Amino acid sequence: MFQERKGKEHMSILTGPMRFHLDGHKELTAHKDVLVLEEPDDLYIPLVNGRAACSPLVKEGDEVKVGQRIGEPTDGFWYVPIFSPVSGTVVGIEKRMTAALKPGDHIHIRNDHKHSATRAFREFDYETATREEILDFVKSAGMAGLGGAGFPTFNKYTKPEGIELFIINAVECEPYLTADYANSMANPELMRDGALALLKLSTAPKGLIAVKEDKKDLIEVLHKQFDGTPIEVAEVPDIYPAGWERTLIYMLTGKRYDRLPAEAGCILNNVSTCIALGNAMKNGMPITAKYLTVSGDGVKEPQNVIVPVGTPASEVIRQCGGYVGEDCLLIAGGPMMGRTIPNDQFVIGIANNGLTVLQHREPFSVKCLRCGKCTETCPSGLVPVRINACEKIKDIDSLKKLSVMDCIECGLCTYICPSKLDVTEGVRRAKRYMALVK
Amino acid sequence: MKLTFKPSPNYRNEKSTTGIMKDLGLCLCAVLLYAVIYYCAAFGAQYGLRVILLACDAVVAALATDAVFYKFAKSKDIMKDLKSSYSIITALILVLISRIDTSYFAMAVCTIMAVYFGKLVFGGFGQNIFNPAAFGAALIMGNFAASYNVDFATGATPTQAASSIGWMIPSGNFASFISQYGGLGRMFLGQYPSTIGSTCALLILCCGAFLIWQRDIDWQTPVFYICTVFVEALCIGLMHGAGIEYALFNVLAGGVLFGGVFMATDPVTTPVTIPGRILWAIGAASLTLIIRLKANFADGVLFAILLMNMLTPAIDKLFDGNQIKDAAKFRRNVLIGGAAFAALTLLVGTSVKPKGETAAAPASSGVPAASGEAAAPAGGDVNFGEALPMTYNFNANKASCVIDGEENNTVRYACEAKGFGLVTNADGDYEMNQAMVVVDKSTGKIKSISMINFGDTAGVGDMATSDEALAQFEGKGLEDEVNLVTGATFTTRSVASMAQAALNAAQED
Ligand code: SF4
Ligand code: SF4
Repeated sequence: MFQERKGKEHMSILTGPMRFHLDGHKELTAHKDVLVLEEPDDLYIPLVNGRAACSPLVKEGDEVKVGQRIGEPTDGFWYVPIFSPVSGTVVGIEKRMTAALKPGDHIHIRNDHKHSATRAFREFDYETATREEILDFVKSAGMAGLGGAGFPTFNKYTKPEGIELFIINAVECEPYLTADYANSMANPELMRDGALALLKLSTAPKGLIAVKEDKKDLIEVLHKQFDGTPIEVAEVPDIYPAGWERTLIYMLTGKRYDRLPAEAGCILNNVSTCIALGNAMKNGMPITAKYLTVSGDGVKEPQNVIVPVGTPASEVIRQCGGYVGEDCLLIAGGPMMGRTIPNDQFVIGIANNGLTVLQHREPFSVKCLRCGKCTETCPSGLVPVRINACEKIKDIDSLKKLSVMDCIECGLCTYICPSKLDVTEGVRRAKRYMALVK
Repeated sequence: MKLTFKPSPNYRNEKSTTGIMKDLGLCLCAVLLYAVIYYCAAFGAQYGLRVILLACDAVVAALATDAVFYKFAKSKDIMKDLKSSYSIITALILVLISRIDTSYFAMAVCTIMAVYFGKLVFGGFGQNIFNPAAFGAALIMGNFAASYNVDFATGATPTQAASSIGWMIPSGNFASFISQYGGLGRMFLGQYPSTIGSTCALLILCCGAFLIWQRDIDWQTPVFYICTVFVEALCIGLMHGAGIEYALFNVLAGGVLFGGVFMATDPVTTPVTIPGRILWAIGAASLTLIIRLKANFADGVLFAILLMNMLTPAIDKLFDGNQIKDAAKFRRNVLIGGAAFAALTLLVGTSVKPKGETAAAPASSGVPAASGEAAAPAGGDVNFGEALPMTYNFNANKASCVIDGEENNTVRYACEAKGFGLVTNADGDYEMNQAMVVVDKSTGKIKSISMINFGDTAGVGDMATSDEALAQFEGKGLEDEVNLVTGATFTTRSVASMAQAALNAAQED
């Protein structure tokens, strides 16, 4: 099914390609050895993962072990428990700046560097377990969307209906990032177990693992792992945003949907979530460390690192040789959708997969050329140039027609703009404005 | 070390607006270079040089306008403003849509108008409603006394000739009409007089392909524009019994290709969505044909583009929405809009009559007549048209005369002048027209004119040399006027130029 679609990928002459091939700069990090970061002496575990808040289970002076549950979710829907990434002593609950640039509660742990661990979960065999048991396991193991959003994984699977296809997203279309790639290359068996467990959970008869066609070595590894299982390897073109749910599902199935992938009969999960789940089932360990890409022209030694959750970004950058240049942009994630954070005190959370450091250069920007390139590439099918123009004059009627809320803030419109305008930011302003007037 | 905050994304494509404009400029220069070579080869080095000087003239005028404007506008960073105004492009396009006989003065004024009124008053690059070059050209060209420098006339362009017969050429005469420009093949290679930039169709198409490949322009606009002109012209042609050559002629002659590649694709003044651009292109193509068929302009391309520029905001609004969710609606809008434009064009097409269908069509503008019966034999019915003052500037004809004999006050001059063939076709095998002009020196009036040698191919412009036509000169002096012979205007001018030369010579003696 997938192979047939591929040829017909290009759509009507009335639209542009709605995507673009970006220079990924992945060669900076992809084939370098992964550095296991020296664990810092002090770690700060955020009590909030995305929108999932926790109350602490430990207090000042408590001894903790690696894998020990130290935070209990306060919300049944946004349910992502917290585990200790190191062994040591709890110093206290401290306010620290988060990646969202707001102060937030963190559990401060002083590392004793002894690595004494506790097995967080019993051994789990997804093949013999029932669907409900797998769901419970996924929930209590703190699995969350590790592509960046941090959405609790179990929530997608509570009531799967009419699901025909389970998709594993190993596309990693953000430029610079290669953490998923490095993780998959290093842990193919864990990935396989996690993927098959989620396939069972999804009730779909078959699955696809989507990977960019240029990652030949990974494709080979995937074939070795998945040939003979109901999961097929699907190569997708090297374009942005191939990893975004809607674009990916459209490329794989030819279907568009309104709100949730389930409408198109699909469930998606990130490949690193599969690996984390595989690790939890086999080794009984939650997510205590992350594969993280540190890349860009603003850092001395770009490379992939394995870093314990709760390590401050400054420490990661320091161990990668420090900054290059006098004025840098420090970005949590890749440069397209990642946020710049003008303060490197924030810590690496479970949903982080990269730090991109770029030297800051102001582009030479001119007036909008009305070239329509943003229109042609917007994966949501919007007309960013019109949105920007209407936002300036607060033309509500037009903004309504322009369905601003469909913007996923993928950043392509700014990327593509030859006049070097901050088009995406204008669309964001329009979204905020429309949210207000509604 | 400092960490800066910037909203995401913080990654940008290499392609810049300046880069796009550089590519455009490169293509325009290529077209200009071809024009220089063509004019050098066909008309002589001073013509080629003139193309270059016109281009320099316009570029300097454009930059100066920008500089003065930004100086007075108290620009904070003049260099940046100059760099992001891209007026050189406007200037180059303007040169390329002008004729070689445009005077330097007109060129400069035109450029200043184009840059100032076409762009700067709207707020500069990106804000203008009209294509600045088309705007400048429409504002000035033709309405301006000093527009043309007749020393550099190259004769009627295909579009002028076609417009003089209403852009409707019956198929029987088409071959002969087109042969005066060396046939469609030669028009494709652009070796015929026209606007400076419309010379080489092949080169323009190559530029278009290059720009599309570089993603400087989208492919939809030029393709839909040119194809619509072709298809609609084909339909109209078929209605009047003309074949596919008529459609090809409509595409090749005048500014359709140049306009389609370089002006209809001007992003600033065209819609921002692809369906919008397709509709825009269909509209512009339809208007081009309508104007050609109905209005008394040499070509419809510029006005069609300007008219569609006015519709751009409305078309943009028509396609406000989500291209995925509203795809069906967008498709419907394009189909309905496109069909409306096409229907209108065809309606106009049915209503036109070839002006020369009943009279002697092929002889219009001195077209060589392949079908003999259509050309009125000498001495046949002669229709007089527009008045032609004897003081008219006939430089293009290069008339000269010598005294052949003198008796009392009556002087006989042997004169010669270029006829239609030589004026329009530099290297054709034509001879000079020769006539004997008898002038009464005491009154300063012509007594008689008789043709000695008719240089153009037999049948060409015969009507203007018929006895009846020549008789109108009798008793005329420099202060009088004669009438152009309908269908043989060029030859009338040739004869009149000899008469003028003789009268002048008589006065000087
Ligand atoms: S950021 Fe929004 S408007 Fe811009 S290209 Fe992405 S989805 Fe479209
Ligand atoms: S890409 Fe930039 S210059 Fe082009 S239309 Fe969009 S906002 Fe304007």
